[in-house]
Amino acid sequence: MKKLVVGFLFLLLALTVIGCSGGTADTTPAPAVSDTASPAATTQETTAAQSGEKVQVTILGTLKPEIAAQVEAAIATYNAAQDKYEVVSIPLDTNPVEKMTTLYASGNAPTIMGMGQEFAQFQQNLLDLTDAEFSKHALPGTQDPVTVNGRVYGMPLTVEAFGLLYNKSVLDAAVGGGFDPNSMQTRSDLQALMDQINALDGKTALHLSPMDWSLGAHVTNLLFAPQSAERDERLQFMEDLKAGNVALMDNEVFTGWADTFDLLKEYNVNAASPLSADYDQGALALGSGEVGLWFMGNWAFPQLSEIGPDTEFGILPYPIGDDPTTYGNTQISIGVPFYMVIDASQSTPEEQQGAIDFLNWLVTDATGQDYYINQFKFIPVFDTFTTRPTDSMSQQILNYLENGRSLEWMNSLYPPDGWPTMGVSMQKYLTNTIDRAGLAEEFTDYWQGVDK
Amino acid sequence: MYTEKGLLDKLKSFATFSFIPLFAFVTVLLIPFLVGFLLTFTDWNGIAAISSLDYNWVGLKNYSVAFADKDFWTALLLTFKYVILVVVFTNIIAFAIALLVTSKLSGRNFFRSIFFVPNLIGGVVLGFIWVFIFSRFVEYIGDITNLAAFQHSWLVDPDKAFIALVIVSVWQLSGYMMLIYIAGLVGIPNDIIEASSIDGASPWQRLRHIVMPLMIPAFTISLFLTLRNSFMAFDVNLALTGGGPFRSTELVTLHIYNEAFRFQNYGDGQAKAVILFVIVATIAIIQVLATNRLERT
Repeated sequence: MKKLVVGFLFLLLALTVIGCSGGTADTTPAPAVSDTASPAATTQETTAAQSGEKVQVTILGTLKPEIAAQVEAAIATYNAAQDKYEVVSIPLDTNPVEKMTTLYASGNAPTIMGMGQEFAQFQQNLLDLTDAEFSKHALPGTQDPVTVNGRVYGMPLTVEAFGLLYNKSVLDAAVGGGFDPNSMQTRSDLQALMDQINALDGKTALHLSPMDWSLGAHVTNLLFAPQSAERDERLQFMEDLKAGNVALMDNEVFTGWADTFDLLKEYNVNAASPLSADYDQGALALGSGEVGLWFMGNWAFPQLSEIGPDTEFGILPYPIGDDPTTYGNTQISIGVPFYMVIDASQSTPEEQQGAIDFLNWLVTDATGQDYYINQFKFIPVFDTFTTRPTDSMSQQILNYLENGRSLEWMNSLYPPDGWPTMGVSMQKYLTNTIDRAGLAEEFTDYWQGVDK
Repeated sequence: MYTEKGLLDKLKSFATFSFIPLFAFVTVLLIPFLVGFLLTFTDWNGIAAISSLDYNWVGLKNYSVAFADKDFWTALLLTFKYVILVVVFTNIIAFAIALLVTSKLSGRNFFRSIFFVPNLIGGVVLGFIWVFIFSRFVEYIGDITNLAAFQHSWLVDPDKAFIALVIVSVWQLSGYMMLIYIAGLVGIPNDIIEASSIDGASPWQRLRHIVMPLMIPAFTISLFLTLRNSFMAFDVNLALTGGGPFRSTELVTLHIYNEAFRFQNYGDGQAKAVILFVIVATIAIIQVLATNRLERT
């Protein structure tokens, strides 16, 4: 009997292995939606589509979690506007890279995804978008990071900026009259401003968010981007760090950057327990005018304007020194947060077509553009847009961009574990678990361990 | 009685009864385990189709990376600490509660179900509920009482966050272990208990020399289950602390998950998972052997 069991087990094992390999060998194109659909199911799906039923196109998440409701509304409008495709959003409740990896591994890759620095890893699974309508209208330079051998594999979604967001009403009261963002040139200016806010009754200078992505990706960008105005030199700095040739404690930018961070730590409204705060508390604190400044990006604007509909919000640079002419003191970090890409390995051609159609609709159709500008509060990166953003913060960022006062998003060049690891070090520094030398050491250790 | 004649008959009756469970076992357990084990010898990136063979064989490199990773050993050490605390406290509390609800307490059925309820809620939901308690409610208590320990959220301090993790796990597991202990207690023949009282045994003596030795099988099961559950703890860890603050409460399963899916080092993560499997399997076998010997004496 025992022999029988063993024999049977092996038979089963052999059968399933054959079955599995047979199934995965012809996964192109495999269905993206259904759980374990076999090739037979795909054909059914396609024929159903031809007979007038809508093709389901999946999109991972809602472009940005902050505008989930607005994006859902746009998707609903798109679905109602035509009868070929049905766009469906897959809930994204975790780190997008984690989610995409697991979905790909299980053969359920979504058709439309947003990708940042993980692009290179997924690139061979992505659809060539060079001939898509939106690719022809993207502003020059915005497609560079997703161009491989002259072919474009992603659609830039928008540009975003991060820095010290401010509540104009609070700053007006603090400086006694109209606050001029251009008056902020150095760290001393910032400190003086924060003192003035603290002097106000019931106001605190700053809310500092402790999330690892904010500290690890955005705050650290201000250590890398201002290293040099020349892109090659900045990249060289990163390479030197990997090679172990940089003594961070002797690096002028590091010192200036850390001095400013110390200042932010000191004026932080949550200084007693810096890790307690979460993102929503930050939005609430700045939106309601409880604090004057918040280190965040313009993606928070839709929430801020919901909390303070009549308040004007703006953005200030994160100064790294006391000389106004130093590169980085009067610039803000502006970049494409991520690219919309389309899966080519697990989605059907119909689904891919639907995905392109939806993205085209968003940036070329009048209704789509209206959602893009007025609901999502995106800053357009396509020449198809005739309308300009109407809110103060987006206009300010466009001004920074047009005047060449922008810093590169070096954080898009970090390896996948870059911001989580540096974020952890930053949290330790924020809570005084390690000192500045410890921070420099953890950064150096991390970069030296990166696969070259 | 079945009387199978030829091989075919035997096979037929065997297949009738065990084809489905065996099929499930092979497809969802055995094959993934073997494939996962094989992948530890490759540099698979977690994305390419496994059958595409679009990756290289790297030998034992993933294992040497895993063994050299300081963070992995920190996480493993923390897990041992966690397991010891959870196993000890869960079993003491569960046994005490079981004694309580099998005594002549009024409303004991009500208490039994109350203590069991936490086990019916999923770990992630539990985690989110307790996040609220440890961050908001603790601060609220701190405002009222001015006690230093309650001034700030417990989840932002490495030590307190670890204690919080243990509290929630013990709270969740105790109810289930209580059920097993109740079954053990109810199964003790009444005549032995009566005989011991006639002989003049005090309640403590009775517990120590009559009840507990007869409960060894229940202890075996409970110890095994709590050991296994706490080594494999993941959902409460993820939802309650997420490994934070600064990865100080990252148990080994969460560490492996982060390594593989968050940091995209699939091979290293999988190698660490295999190491964890070996450790847990060894401990579980030792534990079962030890308690089996106790049962026999």
